[in-house]
Amino acid sequence: MSQTEQREQESNPRNTEEETGQSYRIQVTDSAAIPDKSDKGLFTAWRVSCFGAIGLIILLCSIQPDPYLDILLFVPDGVLVTFEVTMLSIVLSLIVGLITGLGRLSGNAFINLTASTYVEVVRGIPLLVQLFYIYYALGTFTQIPPFTAAIIALTVCYGAYMGEIFRAGIDSIDPGQTEAARSLGFSRWQTMYYVIIPQAMRTILPPVGNEFIALLKDTSLVSIIAVSDLLRRGREFATSTFDYFETFTLVALIYLLITLFLSKIVNIMENRVTPYE
Amino acid sequence: MNESQPIISIRGVYKYFGRLAALEDIDLDVYPRERIVVIGPSGSGKSTLLRAVNQLESIDRGTLLVNGSDVSQPKVDLNTIRMGLGMVFQNFNLFPHKTVLENLTLAPIKLKKLSRERAEAEAYPLLDKVGIRDKAQKYPSKLSGGEKQRVAIARALAMNPSTMLFDEPTSALDPEMIGEVLDVMKDLALEGMTMLVVSHEMGFAREVADRVVFMDEGRIVERGTPEHFFQNPQHPRTQKFLSQIL
Repeated sequence: MSQTEQREQESNPRNTEEETGQSYRIQVTDSAAIPDKSDKGLFTAWRVSCFGAIGLIILLCSIQPDPYLDILLFVPDGVLVTFEVTMLSIVLSLIVGLITGLGRLSGNAFINLTASTYVEVVRGIPLLVQLFYIYYALGTFTQIPPFTAAIIALTVCYGAYMGEIFRAGIDSIDPGQTEAARSLGFSRWQTMYYVIIPQAMRTILPPVGNEFIALLKDTSLVSIIAVSDLLRRGREFATSTFDYFETFTLVALIYLLITLFLSKIVNIMENRVTPYE
Repeated sequence: MNESQPIISIRGVYKYFGRLAALEDIDLDVYPRERIVVIGPSGSGKSTLLRAVNQLESIDRGTLLVNGSDVSQPKVDLNTIRMGLGMVFQNFNLFPHKTVLENLTLAPIKLKKLSRERAEAEAYPLLDKVGIRDKAQKYPSKLSGGEKQRVAIARALAMNPSTMLFDEPTSALDPEMIGEVLDVMKDLALEGMTMLVVSHEMGFAREVADRVVFMDEGRIVERGTPEHFFQNPQHPRTQKFLSQIL
């Protein structure tokens, strides 16, 4: 579905399936629901979650410093690892995604099929299985350090999703832009680089932001292959103290705070880039 | 006028969209400093012909020489040839992420390797020429349709093309903005720019064209001077077309 069609559907929600010949697309994102200014109800939801989480953490740590404060002091290494894994994976998956997206738009049948098959295969296999596959299955041939395996798995998986986002973003740019650039004498690649991708970036930014947040949450899966991320650190603390309830409560609250915070940043970035003026 | 080699030489060109012949056996020469206006009903192939000249549309048969190189051949350096052909579109196709000035300087900086200062120094006189210098730092979204098209003309001129191709440059404009764009085009014609124009503006054709070409159903039906064309058209199809629009 092209952007315009999508916009039309959004602005005209009465278009039923019979009228448009298309089923409704329900958009669900992985990030927190950031309200626009008119949306008072959701606005409260974000605030309640955010300040509620902060309040709860402070409250728990002050009334019961043992074990809550101990946990809070134990897990920051894990937060750092979670961020490292997220950042590395997102940067690499953006590169893989751009190549995949261009491949999906390629007129060359072989490149196109390769890119499409990659997307199809990766999207059909759960991330956890991919992670096991790279770490354990491929580990029988060559030993891959857990951190590297985690980055590879997340990059391969999210590269496919990013590829679809890039493809849609580039596709959304008016073909007249390409014609204008080519007429001036720009090559195909120069046209992509100077004219199409800079414009596609702003269409791409919101979904990439959502993927970023989804990826951050999915990094918790890497704790299973012995990467000491936030969840892993929590587990280490819990297994040595048996404070399962307290530990995972705090771990959940910390994840929640991070995603809420990032959603806000993505939202601010989206609003900042909107107009070309 | 015909003192030299044609800049554009079209011989026996065919183009098919599926089974539909968009261009059928087209012959046309454009000489330096010549202004040719192509008119005809919608779907007559006139835009396709113009777009074939700079290979936005490929052709299926025939030769299409621009400055002696056959642009339909795969090994030809199309990018360099396109630098010599300024193209103006119906829908302007300005780069929305660039200011007016950047729209003009992008290609000279990246393709001709001019310094930014040099490119801007060359861009300002062009903005003066199209009367839009005061909007140099604005983004295209802030301009009216007529202003956008004038910027688009200036952008094409910034590459110092030998020939300008206009694809229905006023068709997307509000009536009150058509004049300002045509004025810029007339100025260009007076300066001796070689121009191939697809247009519905009969007044412009009558006033500016050296030759008018009438196309219908992919063929050139009639061609001649504006006097011949508007006062004494020979072909019944031309007569019918003119009686409908004049």
